[in-house]
Amino acid sequence: MRANPEVLILEDDAETLEGLQTHFTRKRFHPLAARSASRALSLLENNLYSSRPVLAIVDWDLGKAPDQAASSGDVLSRLARELRECPVIVYSQNIDAFNVRSQIQRSHPRALLHDKRDGDASLLERVDRMLDRTVGDLRIHDGTVVVHLPTLDQHHHREAIRLVVHHPDIVTFHSDTSTKAVRRFGEWLREHDSAVRLVSHGNRKYRLSVTVTAGSTSADETV
Amino acid sequence: MESDDPRLLLGVFAPDRVRSIVVITTDGELAVAIRETVPAGIAVVRDARPDDAAEVAGACLPWPWMVVGSTASLTPELASMLQTRPVLTLWLGAAPAGLPSHTARFDRHTPLLAAVEDACGAKVGDMRLAPGSGVDLGDGTLLRGATLDALIGAYPRGFALPSRTFRSAGAALARADAGWTTERDASACIALVPCTHAAAAQ
Repeated sequence: MRANPEVLILEDDAETLEGLQTHFTRKRFHPLAARSASRALSLLENNLYSSRPVLAIVDWDLGKAPDQAASSGDVLSRLARELRECPVIVYSQNIDAFNVRSQIQRSHPRALLHDKRDGDASLLERVDRMLDRTVGDLRIHDGTVVVHLPTLDQHHHREAIRLVVHHPDIVTFHSDTSTKAVRRFGEWLREHDSAVRLVSHGNRKYRLSVTVTAGSTSADETV
Repeated sequence: MESDDPRLLLGVFAPDRVRSIVVITTDGELAVAIRETVPAGIAVVRDARPDDAAEVAGACLPWPWMVVGSTASLTPELASMLQTRPVLTLWLGAAPAGLPSHTARFDRHTPLLAAVEDACGAKVGDMRLAPGSGVDLGDGTLLRGATLDALIGAYPRGFALPSRTFRSAGAALARADAGWTTERDASACIALVPCTHAAAAQ
């Protein structure tokens, strides 16, 4: 079953937004694109229980947004509170200014900062590095497929991607559908005799654990 | 956008169990510097202002790992938390009334930032802070507990708090046969000591 992972993109410049959207669509993500913070908040609200973005890219300066009812800080606060496992990249022309960093940090203490002056290519390169991850014998290919490296078999589901992207963190899943998908991924790992296994923490919380053979002991690998 | 909707509260107020550093300043500059000092994944820096510091600290579950400040006063709620919980407390400039006696005080940014960096990278025997929360014993075992996290960050110093505060950390170390225990040092602070040292003292 294919279910492409979502990426939230908040960018007030129409041309840049289109460029980012095209990039992620080409990589088989489903972009949740917004030119204003209000639109981004409503996209999050509408998707909160059905699906959750695996990554959020937020432009801090929204001077060209079609409406100014909400700010990028409001979007970051919502992400910090309700989608805390979602990695967030905030970019700004003024990222060097300590007051901008301080405001971003108050809105989302875990947000990663990026300098807009480095250009879109540098941002996309960073995103690709974050999404093309290897955990044990699994690798994310093109951001949308989990590949079992010894067999090159593929598993397509956004919840599997989410678990790999967030390893070693615990990820909370919010619907029966996603929990079922996670369990199917766990079965797939067992069938492939993967070094990675699915660990349940109860209450729809799961994480991946990598078994490292060191003599006779095994331990969770921390990446 | 102003809102009373708790879902729209600022990010620093979001409750979280990840190891946290609360930085209390009037302008946020120190928080930015500390965020650049803390190694990735070791702790989340929460930038607080004097009037919301107690609320920000309250969102760190079960309590903040470290509180860094440069303000001239402290709210009673925050002072009470710092005096009853093992929280690494670092202060820039004159320390306000209400800070615990184990507070480390600094006159300049550089040594303060160095102290934060040292606490984040603290190694006690084979034990070190694991990313997120908990202590890695060096053999793949992860011990979770805010008190133990605090003892590792403070080492070789400790906390001027009652011994009972550290009972669970001591028991966890004993169960894991870590070779370390807690003991009151010459400055009346409870700190980590090697089990051999504790046995010799008895």
